[in-house]
Amino acid sequence: MTTENSAEPLKVGTAVKILNSGYGAATIAEYRGPLGPRGVRVYRVRVQDKPRPAYIEVREDQLQVLDDARDLRPTGS
Amino acid sequence: MPSAAFTDWQNDRALRLNEVEAHCATVLALVPPNLTFLDETLRGFVLHLSAHFQGFCRDLYTECSQAWVIAIPAGFQPTAQAQFSARLELEKGNPNYNNIKRDFNRFGFLLDLHTAHAPHVTHLDQLNQWRNKAAHQGTKPLGGGVPAVLTLPVVQGWRASCGVLANSLDGIMRGELLRIMGTAPW
Repeated sequence: MTTENSAEPLKVGTAVKILNSGYGAATIAEYRGPLGPRGVRVYRVRVQDKPRPAYIEVREDQLQVLDDARDLRPTGS
Repeated sequence: MPSAAFTDWQNDRALRLNEVEAHCATVLALVPPNLTFLDETLRGFVLHLSAHFQGFCRDLYTECSQAWVIAIPAGFQPTAQAQFSARLELEKGNPNYNNIKRDFNRFGFLLDLHTAHAPHVTHLDQLNQWRNKAAHQGTKPLGGGVPAVLTLPVVQGWRASCGVLANSLDGIMRGELLRIMGTAPW
């Protein structure tokens, strides 16, 4: 289940997967604000820790919140 | 219609800077004068102003990149977003003209604020030189036409120039994205 139209922005540290990407489990690093088209929320997501952190800015509807970042299970349907 | 970033510049960042500016005016009016405190206060204003202008530029860049990305197939979007997010000058560097150009030129055109706004670009350069001097406790004279001493009118002038440049950058990016995508981005 993606997170579009959630009441509150996702919290920093939330485990997510970026849909349609080759990235595995990632974490919300920063809520950037309603900077997407038509005010969609945008997040800075940390997709890699080593050898150095890497970040990508994506829209909320591109994110799938994970129950547990280790097995990449989604929270809903 | 302005971008969300410029709306935020006008409706939130401006109010915050108004508070700082009012504080500077209060310190300036102290009797007897406290020149040391005034200098520290004006340096704080410089840091706030530079930070808010950097925040505006970053927000506008993000807004533009997300508007661009939504126009391509979903499968390509994370790849494009990764490219837009990588090694941004404005992520760590000052919001000087060169850094702004380097980041916004990624949209496939050559950003030119200088032709129409040379005095304001000069003000932005002076602001950032003072920003670095204040942040790093620099002792070297700045030279090159940069005011040797901070005064409230000087910083107010830099602030006005930041507003002009923000407005211009907002309009330029709207026009460029309209040209690229065929629809207005906001």
